[in-house]
Amino acid sequence: MLQLTGATYRYAGYAKAVLHEIDLRLDDGEIVGLVGPNEAGKSTLCLVASGLAPTSIGGDLTGSLTLDGTPAAGLKTHELAERVVVGFQNPNTQRSGIAATVYEEIALGPMNLGLSVAETVARTREALARLRLDHLVTRDPLRLSGGQAQLVAIASLLAMRPRHIILDEPTAQLDPAGTRLVGEALRSLAETGTSLLIAEHKTDLLDGLCSRIVVIDGGRIVVDGPTAAVFDDERLAGLGVEAPARTRLGRALAERGIDPAVVADAVAAASSAADADGPGIAR
Amino acid sequence: MTDTPAVVQTEGLVHVYPEGTRALDGVDLAIRAGERVAIVGQNGSGKTTLVRHFNGLLRPTEGRVLVDGADAAGRRVASLAASVGLAFQDPDRQIFAGKVRNEVGFGPRNLGRTGADLERSIDEALAATGLDGDAQTNPYDLGYSRRKLLALASILAMGTPVVVLDEPTTGQDARGIGRIRTIVDRLTSAGRTVIAISHDMRFVAESFGRVIVMRDGRIVLDGSPAEVFAEPAWPTLASTFLEPPLAARIGARLGLGSTPTDAALVAALEPRRNAGGPRTTAGG
Amino acid sequence: MASRRPEPIDPATTGFGDAAALSAADAAFVAGLAPPAPSAYHRLNPMTKAVAATVESLGAFVIGGYLGPLAIIGLAVLPAAVIAGVAGRLVRISLLLTLPIAISVVLVSVFTRAGTTVLFTVGPFDATLEGVDFAGQTLVRLLAISTAIGLFGLTTESRSFVLDLERRGLSPRFAFVALATLEAVPAMVERASVIASAQRARGLDTEGSVRARLRGVLPLVGPVILSSLTEVEERSLALEVRAFGRPGRRALLWRIADSGAQFAARALMLVALLAAIAMRLTGTFPRLP
Repeated sequence: MLQLTGATYRYAGYAKAVLHEIDLRLDDGEIVGLVGPNEAGKSTLCLVASGLAPTSIGGDLTGSLTLDGTPAAGLKTHELAERVVVGFQNPNTQRSGIAATVYEEIALGPMNLGLSVAETVARTREALARLRLDHLVTRDPLRLSGGQAQLVAIASLLAMRPRHIILDEPTAQLDPAGTRLVGEALRSLAETGTSLLIAEHKTDLLDGLCSRIVVIDGGRIVVDGPTAAVFDDERLAGLGVEAPARTRLGRALAERGIDPAVVADAVAAASSAADADGPGIAR
Repeated sequence: MTDTPAVVQTEGLVHVYPEGTRALDGVDLAIRAGERVAIVGQNGSGKTTLVRHFNGLLRPTEGRVLVDGADAAGRRVASLAASVGLAFQDPDRQIFAGKVRNEVGFGPRNLGRTGADLERSIDEALAATGLDGDAQTNPYDLGYSRRKLLALASILAMGTPVVVLDEPTTGQDARGIGRIRTIVDRLTSAGRTVIAISHDMRFVAESFGRVIVMRDGRIVLDGSPAEVFAEPAWPTLASTFLEPPLAARIGARLGLGSTPTDAALVAALEPRRNAGGPRTTAGG
Repeated sequence: MASRRPEPIDPATTGFGDAAALSAADAAFVAGLAPPAPSAYHRLNPMTKAVAATVESLGAFVIGGYLGPLAIIGLAVLPAAVIAGVAGRLVRISLLLTLPIAISVVLVSVFTRAGTTVLFTVGPFDATLEGVDFAGQTLVRLLAISTAIGLFGLTTESRSFVLDLERRGLSPRFAFVALATLEAVPAMVERASVIASAQRARGLDTEGSVRARLRGVLPLVGPVILSSLTEVEERSLALEVRAFGRPGRRALLWRIADSGAQFAARALMLVALLAAIAMRLTGTFPRLP
């Protein structure tokens, strides 16, 4: 379980805090979505929840982060890495720069953890399979498209088999097929007990994936509750968060006096039909 | 519409990269002034390669590209930039100025704008992208999504008749996407042409009048959103790993014909309102 | 986890741990990740090739004269280059690299070396026989060094060398710095080309007059530096997330084979070099032409 309590964080050299009294809890196997307008503090929250702020980047944190009972404050960055990983938006910065092939790029994390070759290979194979990247194994990581690079970055994190995964806009560069692929992979990961925090704009993705949604604005958590309830909340639009398609359509229909139930089944069927067909192979 | 001049045209365009990849395999395309065109297709379908021919960054291996009716081969990139403004995806691969205002001014200055004319172009671009309050800010003090808007402003300020956007909505929140929609509207109502590469099918369906679907270096579909996202076209879309927006899928499931946007779906459901739904109507 | 003292690595295993647990297909794939080695010389362990290059270069200096360096080039470096199939490239590259230094060496030595036999005079400068001789000896030494090191560079991938060093005990963090530095250039080039395209799309003229191109320096170089600097923090965070800071050894996926014979050869070469140096220092080294 990942528990953030009363977290107020100020970057080093800045006068004002970016996060204020954040309480956040991720249970094992839970997938929590994090939404909010840009510059509300989503990325900072991801850094704090992973312990990198302040352990690696400095700054001032009041409050506490505990990972499965252990306070993060006493851990070194590689000890944090054994428990929680965080993925960033920009796939370029997550490329190590020293791997000649995608396979070796993904294998780096497990290797750095001091695992045996057999274990490293097993985890690499698993990560490749989860994100359907087998056809890219011998490619040069420098020569990938933005979407492919993002998938490789996510796979590189999955290969470490952390207990907690935090992702900051993991599907920003991905097309709908790639987005669904990632959603599927994350869902199956949660089934193994991994807890996930996903900051995203794509509320449709979060709608199908998360059990809980946390809304952040101005560095504070404004809403924290079950997905359906949060997405139906009227306040979201004012916060610059767009409700998922089913909510939007439901509202538009209700406005015209049409019973949303007419489409509710179709929406559910259309969404799951797309899932059943399966996402395409990421090229 | 056919007597409106074509601002950008390609004839039998083929492009083979030095390593041998045949990225474009014979593209014939005519885009007319004032059109809003979205180009979609998976990675490797040739979208990016295609638009790079419009401003001369790439030159044809075979075939020709015409800009403003004349062969682009005779013009340098710096000259074509006055006709076609291409906004790149990664703002950090072009920002070099210490102030937002100076960054935006770079493009128009290169095109020879000066004085009051130049200042006005910059002001308008900043206002359109919501950066007017940050004119004196250092670009790297803006967050990533606002830097993307800065890159867009840098192209808008150039005042080119054709504006090409590469994945304009990635990383934007709802507010940012709204801004981009408004920008597209304003550009086309001023008679300028907008071409966008996007994988956000909803944005495409709602903001563009023409959708070009590419696969393996060729155009496989070319029509309005209603045509391209209609059920008969789905197998072709699937072949390039695309799927229509949710509204289209629901509309098809309910037998309503092609409803590529939420609005179209709602409008198509209107008659049902009177056809004995369980609730009474509240207002019209 | 406290870092352990490095275990002695048995070159015959694929790494420490359950080598046997790896399936044949996986083992073959992973071994195949090593850079291609098209000749017997390429297949030598990087350490062997490095020692050879070092001994050959230093040896050329220690032996002195003309015969020594030329013998090293002709009997050690060139035959190996032929086996490796890089002889032509090696000669071209070495000459290219040595040429600028050679020109300045020759000019300086020929005219300034103290000597008695004057060959010809240019202005106030006398070209002496001793000067020409010195220049000649320096040139052959430079050639020996450039060919020896060039051979190493042409037959050894930097990755292979650095990872082999790590297998021998180099800290993974040093290994990372070395590799990242070596790979930095291609990444920079890639970045610079994207930047150039973006700026050209904004009307920057890269095909015009010299003055126009000079004006383009800041818009082209600026983003390269700025984006690199702004990415540094996120890059280092991303590395820490992948446990790059963890002390202790790593089990590497592939290795370049080493052998007892190569170990002996390296030892022999080093001993020979040390002996030659000792003889030089004690004045017992025979004078050679």
